[in-house]
Amino acid sequence: MMAKDYRGARQWSRNRQAIAIVVWISFLSAAVATMLFFAAFDPVELGGLLDTDLNRDGGYAAGFFFFWLLSAACSGVTAWLVRTAPARHRAVD
Amino acid sequence: MALPAGNAPVAVQPAYQSAEKIYPREIAGRYANLSGWSTLVLLGLFYGVPWLKWDGRQAFLFDLPERKFYLAGLTLWPQDFPLLAMLLIVAAIGLFFFTALAGRLWCGFACPQTVWTEAFIRMEQWTEGTRSQRMKLDKAPMSGNKFRRKFAKQFLWLGFSLWTGYTFVGYFTPIHEYGLQLARLEIGGWTLFWTLFYGTATYGNAGYLREQVCKYMCPYARFQSAMFDKDTLIISYDRQRGEPRGGRRRRIDHRAAGLGDCIDCTLCVQVCPTGIDIRDGLQYECIACGACVDACNSVMDKMSYPRGLVGFTTEHALAGERTRLVRPRTLVYATLLALLTGGLVSSVVLRTPVILDVMRDRNALYRELPNDVIENTYTVKLINQANRAREFVLSVGGLPGLELDGVPQSIPIEGGGIVSLPVRVRVRSGEIRGSRAIAFTATPSDNADDLRVTESRFVGPLSP
Repeated sequence: MMAKDYRGARQWSRNRQAIAIVVWISFLSAAVATMLFFAAFDPVELGGLLDTDLNRDGGYAAGFFFFWLLSAACSGVTAWLVRTAPARHRAVD
Repeated sequence: MALPAGNAPVAVQPAYQSAEKIYPREIAGRYANLSGWSTLVLLGLFYGVPWLKWDGRQAFLFDLPERKFYLAGLTLWPQDFPLLAMLLIVAAIGLFFFTALAGRLWCGFACPQTVWTEAFIRMEQWTEGTRSQRMKLDKAPMSGNKFRRKFAKQFLWLGFSLWTGYTFVGYFTPIHEYGLQLARLEIGGWTLFWTLFYGTATYGNAGYLREQVCKYMCPYARFQSAMFDKDTLIISYDRQRGEPRGGRRRRIDHRAAGLGDCIDCTLCVQVCPTGIDIRDGLQYECIACGACVDACNSVMDKMSYPRGLVGFTTEHALAGERTRLVRPRTLVYATLLALLTGGLVSSVVLRTPVILDVMRDRNALYRELPNDVIENTYTVKLINQANRAREFVLSVGGLPGLELDGVPQSIPIEGGGIVSLPVRVRVRSGEIRGSRAIAFTATPSDNADDLRVTESRFVGPLSP
């Protein structure tokens, strides 16, 4: 195919796609979760509850990375299970 | 990797094959111009808005360290969060509405991913030249010229990325003060971290990932087809007019030779940033950037054929039918959008400077004190939504002889502050039977017109 030779864009491997999707989507959900969570809770007050010195900036960052890690773990395991699930058996005639 | 038995062999790729580089071919035309302008305006807004002033402070500042949001004359507190959530919902419905009408115009001209990619491509063109020059440069061995060009590109990219990170952080922390800190080299801490984080994300996304983000990572790209119908604006190739495609000499009568208008020059494929062939029909990778339209129109001009073999159109228009803007889908989106926007605007307009909540103590209906006095207890929550400290006077009324106990003469509350007070209300027992309505009033000492009244109940014994 002549046209194919001209295609500029590359294709990503399936693994690379999966990793990129997991990282990006969990990033987005972590951003939403951080927003919701810290609208309700002030990191300074949370620090008082946990008996640690937590300033606001540090609290926001810790919260964000916690949510990112959590949702990345969740969607990573989900993606992995979906992709490695056994194929459906077809009935043999 | 084992191939599943019984299936056709599929191409097996190693996980991290170093991918071929994209060399998008530059094209001039109406949509390239539009995209340039849109990039300029949107980036201008992004980099300019944090520097706007309002009443001597930053006009638009989501002050996370102080936990308050400034939007021009409006100051929002954490308790106003529902407004922000509503704004996001309005934005989402707005996008759906726009998508139903205009397809992926958002993707091609307004999405931050596209806009920054466009800016980075411009910088690449300034330093490394056109597509063919860039390809040649990459193949050539390292030389003084190559080093200078690559260095200049990286210098521009990195500088722009850092400035982007700085501006981004400037929406969340006062940008002027942060700039002064950086200039004095008093840097460090989380602000610097987020500047570098966002800068790196910009550099990676706009410099290297580019349309791969749209193709593989963007959820909107996958579900936008749900908002599409036959009246949605899409980029399409006019198959009836173009086929059969094929090369020909310029002056021949191609119709007589059995050829359509497509000369199969493949320019539309070469300029496509996502590498699709629009002549295969609408594909979800298409971000509606219009590059193929510009490319095809330039060729049609050269061949003296009419423009629009590839163009923005609708499925109905392609089939020779009328395109309807008003249809159930757009009506539903428009109604939702109008309702939600109305709700948002009215909640902003009706937002009161004082909030007074009263909760009756549920543990005891009432307490009988010596000297025939009945007491009820309440928790009063008072919120000062103004941007400055104010003092409030709390009073209670609605029944004769009500008295407040445990409340200071005046209650000072800082801007955006919340005060929660245990309040006792007493009355002589002869005055009251059963459950009666009473009203609490909070009056700001500086402006009695801003007073808030909240009703509650006072409970006494049913019989004396």
